Amino acid sequence: MYPSPFRYHRARSLKEAASLLSELGEGSKALAGGQSLIPLMKLRLVSLSDLVDLNFIPGVSAIEQKDNQIHIGALARHADLEKSQTTAPIPIIHDCASGIADVQIRSRGTIGGSLAEADPSGDWPCVLLTLPVELRCVGPKGERTVPISKFFVDAYTSVMEHDELLSGIIVKLPPPHSGGAYLAFKRSPPVYPTASAAVQLTLEGDVCKDVGIALGCVGLTTIKAVQAEQQLRGKSIDQKSITRAAEAAMAEADPQTDMRGSIDYKRTLVRALVKRATEVAVRRARGEKVEVSHYYA
Amino acid sequence: MSKAKENKKPKRWVGTSLRRKEDDRLIRGHGKFVDDNRLGEMLFLKMVSSPYGHAKILKVDVSEAEKLPGVVCTLTGTEVASLMQPFMEIGPEPGAKIVDYPMAVNRARYQGEPVAAVIAKSQAIAEDAAELVHVEYEMLDAVVTGEDAIQDKVILHESSGTNLVWRGLYEWGEVDKAFKEAAYVVNIDRLHFHRFTAAPLENNAILAHWEPDGRLHFWCNNSFPTFAIQFLAPALGLRLEQIHVKTEDIGGSFGVKITHYPQMAVCALASRKAGGRPVKWTETRTGNLTASGHCNERTYRNTRVALDKNGVIQAIESRQIDDCGAYTRYEPLGAVIWSQVVPGVYRVKNLRIDFAQVVSNKCPCAPIRGYSRLQHLWFMERVLDICSYELGIAADEMRLQNYIKPEEFPYTTPNGCVYDSGNYPKMLEIAKELVGWDRWVKKQQEAKKEGRMIGIGIGTTLDSGTNNFGQSRIINPYAPFSGNSEAANIKVDLDGNIVVSLGSTPQGQGHETTTAQVVADELNIHPDMVSVRTGFDTEWNTYTGHSGTYASQFAVTGLSAVHGAAQKLKKEMKKLAAYALQAKEEDLEFGVGNMGPELRVKGTDKSINYWGLANLVNVNNAGLPNEIAELTLNCRYIYRPPFQIPDLKRKYGNLTLTYAAQLHIAVVEIDPEMYTPKILDYAAVDDCGTVVNPMIVEGQVRGATAHGIGAALMEACVYDSVGNMLTSTFSDYTPITAVNMPKVHYGHIESPSPFSFNGAKGMGEGGGAALHAISAALQNALFEYGITIDDSFTTGNTLYDALVGKKVMQRANNVKVERGVA
Ligand SMILES: Cc1cc2nc3c(=O)[nH]c(=O)nc-3n(C[C@H](O)[C@H](O)[C@H](O)COP(=O)(O)OP(=O)(O)OC[C@H]3O[C@@H](n4cnc5c(N)ncnc54)[C@H](O)[C@@H]3O)c2cc1C
Repeated sequence: MYPSPFRYHRARSLKEAASLLSELGEGSKALAGGQSLIPLMKLRLVSLSDLVDLNFIPGVSAIEQKDNQIHIGALARHADLEKSQTTAPIPIIHDCASGIADVQIRSRGTIGGSLAEADPSGDWPCVLLTLPVELRCVGPKGERTVPISKFFVDAYTSVMEHDELLSGIIVKLPPPHSGGAYLAFKRSPPVYPTASAAVQLTLEGDVCKDVGIALGCVGLTTIKAVQAEQQLRGKSIDQKSITRAAEAAMAEADPQTDMRGSIDYKRTLVRALVKRATEVAVRRARGEKVEVSHYYA
Repeated sequence: MSKAKENKKPKRWVGTSLRRKEDDRLIRGHGKFVDDNRLGEMLFLKMVSSPYGHAKILKVDVSEAEKLPGVVCTLTGTEVASLMQPFMEIGPEPGAKIVDYPMAVNRARYQGEPVAAVIAKSQAIAEDAAELVHVEYEMLDAVVTGEDAIQDKVILHESSGTNLVWRGLYEWGEVDKAFKEAAYVVNIDRLHFHRFTAAPLENNAILAHWEPDGRLHFWCNNSFPTFAIQFLAPALGLRLEQIHVKTEDIGGSFGVKITHYPQMAVCALASRKAGGRPVKWTETRTGNLTASGHCNERTYRNTRVALDKNGVIQAIESRQIDDCGAYTRYEPLGAVIWSQVVPGVYRVKNLRIDFAQVVSNKCPCAPIRGYSRLQHLWFMERVLDICSYELGIAADEMRLQNYIKPEEFPYTTPNGCVYDSGNYPKMLEIAKELVGWDRWVKKQQEAKKEGRMIGIGIGTTLDSGTNNFGQSRIINPYAPFSGNSEAANIKVDLDGNIVVSLGSTPQGQGHETTTAQVVADELNIHPDMVSVRTGFDTEWNTYTGHSGTYASQFAVTGLSAVHGAAQKLKKEMKKLAAYALQAKEEDLEFGVGNMGPELRVKGTDKSINYWGLANLVNVNNAGLPNEIAELTLNCRYIYRPPFQIPDLKRKYGNLTLTYAAQLHIAVVEIDPEMYTPKILDYAAVDDCGTVVNPMIVEGQVRGATAHGIGAALMEACVYDSVGNMLTSTFSDYTPITAVNMPKVHYGHIESPSPFSFNGAKGMGEGGGAALHAISAALQNALFEYGITIDDSFTTGNTLYDALVGKKVMQRANNVKVERGVA
């Protein structure tokens, strides 16, 4: 499989990359890990005139804690995040990174590429929607910061302009007694999930002080399940409220029938995944160390 | 195993887990596959494939593609048809009326069928040019199920006028009488065996070079090259001698690489058109999934089963439709090959199977692992399980009631096949032990109280090996083949090295290793002292018309040939050594001395090494006496199993030489919220007679288990109603990975075959045991929910549709029991 011909550019800074994209126009694209872009080019579903490689730009893949924030460079690889100690206080990040595809893809693919791709089945959009996250974008005209809730517009479409690049992801550390979990059902590791659910919550005793719930693969974009959140926020966490939240999430999911499953079945998966992710999130919020793994066929 | 242990010379090499000779090069990346070949002036071919399942081809315009710099030439279907004869058909009419060219001519009949090809100086240019080939199509209604195809409302091949390829009634015993006398009759309206494929790591690849002098070379990974060249030569108007085929390392075949001779023809014609430059084609993964080969899909309608009051099956009748895809190719052999295992592992004597095979707008089938028997064995296992639940007999009891008994071997089946040896009850006992049957039954009862659905299922199956090609006459009395054979050649080279060449095309079966084990035992030397040339080569290696690696046979056909050749060589070596040492032949022994492998006079230090022997024959031969002048130290042996041509009227005869058996037990839990089946425990017990290399056998068993679990739960070739294949990448066709595999408890017994020189039986296909065991486990878990497992493919989604939607697998719509018929 070979892509159609294109010109290759190696950028030395994000700013230069943005200017190049601006000059080269719509037929150009940035290349990060290439794990979404290159398959599309090889299958010739995408034909480009120019590719602007971001991989040789220094200093854009660090993962650092600054005050009560974690700064993640856009080019941090899934594998970097899987192994990172810095993100350990937010276990849902590890759940996400370690469950993406296989070793090769995790070693190449980047968190920035995943967000920019805005794939409704992508794992990072789903997980990061449950956290207080801001995204730094760089364009020829300068920088701007976008809260993640405003970032995704449509399937495969973010608010970024053609010549804008994601430079970093800023995650505010959750308050004490917080915990989260990310669970997906996947037929096999190197494919996108059939359905996934991310739950991040903060407890005050048995009461859920705050919660974020997001659903992957079951809509045109990742879905923020606000109805489900309402079933938990400010309420005491028990089997009943968790079930109500799971039922609400099931209703908020808007899946399509495809090779991975029917509408009804995907909704059923959502209910189970939200329920189980919430249960793990609660245990983690209570300080328990819980290992989780996705479900496979 | 530790190095020290391995180096300690065992009494016999056969039977030891000798590490594989081929792994050193394969693990280091030093193997050589077709795509690794680079020839001077080599060109690259890209197929342009039909995006439609069924369409008229109105126009193929290659002019723009030909203008692209770097493009050397193109081929279209019409042109291909003008350059060659259609491929021969194995079966009789109506199937024989199908006109089969390697490229679609006027009509495309499955998605992915080649309609044109571009040949260019680089792969990248070829791919660019392929986009510039403009094809005008007119979409036609498609037929995508066997049951629809047999209605003939949409017909694929105008030349034949029907979708029916072949139909025949198989009847043995006294079926009507058995039904009349039965205590119970169980009716099963419909069962379905789904389509999947082999998905080998290496896709199909061909490098063709048609030289100006008329000689045509192929470097390819076809796993049954003698079959391929017998199709290719007449189609291309060549004598066999003009075709040179060579295979090297092959990255898996599982049968799917038997049927890519059409692509070989396209590459050959391309090479000739390009002025005799070599042309390489390497298939893409999507090409492999959509257009290489799928396994036969089968629907079983109106099945009736007669049983006595103890649940012993008396008779089975059924109407079966086998869907072989758009072209016949290896078919309709599948329409008879299932009958190698007519009663499965059971004693049923009366059967009536109305068997029809049809074409449909799907990828043509290939004889994939378990070919045709797998489908039938799954059917037999379903029949047995469904009856056991309907009659309220435990599935293990039901099996013990029906198994052929150990003392009944060799056992003649109703259609005259002779099962060589076996002990199914013993295998069941071992598998139960391995999986912890009693513990699981207890757990299952406890779990039931919590509403959990756990099922324990048994699959007992056969891997029939070394087939009698005479069975093809049951399909077509004029088919010019029968029996079976394999060749081996062994020589003492000029420098005294032992070199064995084979006609087989191993793809992971370890033929280099097992061959060396056999020869080492014969010559009393170390296997490292035996060089084995595997890979098929019409110019270099020896072969017969059946040579290849397919249908579980090497341990019998290949190793028998090796053994026979070694016997011949030993005779010559003894004669020669007796002359050289002035000794009596009966005083000589084989062994290894200070000067390497040698023959010596027992009890003395008089010896001659292999170099000495070879030198006498080849280099230093003046004055050799007449009686040894005829010795060559280069011996070829052809092994032929003792087969007869079957009785065609009765469809009766011995169709295979050996019957390896597999017994698997799966413990499966259905997630109460997600409905996904999860394997909790798994045991696999194998019996392939005398084991030549336990490590290789275990590897084959584990591989076949993975393939079967994948097929049962993850892998399906799915088409929509217009013939679009919905599983054309690994994102949708999800082959099993290590993460999906349960831990498999492995065990084995050895029931030596009385029919092979070494007691071994062919193995490797594995009989699809995992498919049977998983269907059985699901049936065990779900019978009480009114569910009948009627399909070989199950996902969480189908179980959801069954349990919640009550849309599929509903026992009430499928199964009826008539009691007390007698
Ligand atoms: C077989 C396979 C299975 C996969 N399974 C999963 C899975 O289960 N879950 C999952 O989440 N993902 C999965 N992926 C996708 C993988 O995670 C990708 O790495 C990710 O989607 C894209 O990241 P990338 O760095 O590879 O981006 P690229 O492929 O390089 O780029 C993707 C897009 O984003 C743009 N882009 C990249 N970086 C930036 C940036 N900094 N700023 C602006 N635009 C940018 C590119 O121009 C391009 O349009 C899978 C991929 C493969 C090949």
